[in-house]
Amino acid sequence: MEATIALLLDTANFTLALLLVTLGLVVIFGLMNVINMAHGEFFLIGAYVVVAVSNATGSFWLGLLLAPAVLAVVGLLVEWLIIRHIYHRFIDTILATWGLSLVIKQGVVVLFGPGAQIPAAVDVFGVQYPAYRLFIMALSAALALATYYLFFRTRLGLQIRGVIANRAMAASLGINTRRMDRATFAVGSALAGFAGAVMAPIMSVDPQMGVGFLIPSFLSVLVGGVNSLVGALIGSGVIGGATTIFSAGISQADAQILVFLLAMIIIRFLPNGITGGRK
Amino acid sequence: MLAVENLVAGYPSGGSVLKGVTFDVAKGEVVALLGRNGMGKTTLMRALAGQLAKQSGSFRLDGRDLGGSPSYAIANAGIGYVPQGREIFKDFTVEENLLMGVLGKPNLPKRLPGDIYDFFPILGERRKQKAGTMSGGQQQQLAIMRCLVGQPKLVLLDEPSEGIQPSIVDEIGRTLQTIARSTGLTILVVEQNLDFVETLAGRALFMENGVIADRADHIGELRDKPELVHRYLSI
Repeated sequence: MEATIALLLDTANFTLALLLVTLGLVVIFGLMNVINMAHGEFFLIGAYVVVAVSNATGSFWLGLLLAPAVLAVVGLLVEWLIIRHIYHRFIDTILATWGLSLVIKQGVVVLFGPGAQIPAAVDVFGVQYPAYRLFIMALSAALALATYYLFFRTRLGLQIRGVIANRAMAASLGINTRRMDRATFAVGSALAGFAGAVMAPIMSVDPQMGVGFLIPSFLSVLVGGVNSLVGALIGSGVIGGATTIFSAGISQADAQILVFLLAMIIIRFLPNGITGGRK
Repeated sequence: MLAVENLVAGYPSGGSVLKGVTFDVAKGEVVALLGRNGMGKTTLMRALAGQLAKQSGSFRLDGRDLGGSPSYAIANAGIGYVPQGREIFKDFTVEENLLMGVLGKPNLPKRLPGDIYDFFPILGERRKQKAGTMSGGQQQQLAIMRCLVGQPKLVLLDEPSEGIQPSIVDEIGRTLQTIARSTGLTILVVEQNLDFVETLAGRALFMENGVIADRADHIGELRDKPELVHRYLSI
């Protein structure tokens, strides 16, 4: 019984963090047609912000709060320095953001070393571990809901969805598409940063953790359906759920193979993802 | 109000389509832009809306040079655009489509005016309906109102009658005429339907091979001088 509950908690936890990363990937791709290969490293930075802040101040919560803010700024900078110059050159954005991901990863190695880090504050919560996880899950779910609210219920969200649907026409109605690009990139990056911060205490914080999260995140996008925020939710559920459930019974590597197989089967029958319908 | 001078524009790969377009439109005028397909009418509209970069020349709105400005800046300077094919947001409701017309405008309140559905009442009846499910004529009415709600000084109207049943074309023509007369709205309209042009426009420009080749300073000349229509419009 206890093992089942622990497994369910693990699944929900991983799925929610995956959802946050996937949402960021989807909104950035949907709006700017940019596949951000450095998105996993934004997740990575989020985790290291928690490590650095909690080591320096002893407060995990300050790190959790700062991580999305730091990543929003990083996102703005990346958009301004790199993406805006090449966003209409699809392949180049993949190359450039991949290059950026290498730079960030090596930067982290230089600053923190190649080994795994443990945020100092994890042991001093004063609360039981499961309670922390439940709280984190509630926070992640609230953030995911807030993201959906932002895109589907606010006027900023309406404008962003308008730019996604028809960039040229939205611009001809006076909507500043550059501003929407910047806002979306910042929000998407902040989501990844928050996810990284949330996962920092419960996974190995090392320079490879970004890639480890980017791959299931891409799978979620493909399985759920590109260009759909609802698809991000479904895809993260399928991939996150499958990953943790498979990992419970067999080795990590075998679980990965099964998850890939599952994704391939879904994409074989639903090439546009679950929300995209049959072709 | 609009002063276009030697405007040269085209597509990045295919050289220039507009080869030096020059004309003026005064405030409150409705000017028709006529010509056969492929003569550059839609290219001119897209260039004036900022969707195509100009290669040389200029265009000014009330003296302010807008050539080279991004399209959102051109829209906010007062040039409204109702493109060929309407380009409404199909997955948005009628109301959301109309909201898109004001949300980007820095000087307008971010809500719809109460009388917005007076001109085309069908839009009011369907305001919660997905725009993509409406007929072509209703979508055209929506595209026009989405533009007008942004309070443009000049409206670029590209083939408003294309693919729309005749009764609705008449309604759109009459409503636009009412709006133009009561508000002094300035319109530059590309249109193949000569009845529609005669209802709405005061004069006409003829486009051929990327330049303004001729003009009819009074719209009645379309009937009085059949050779004009024959030369520039017959196939």
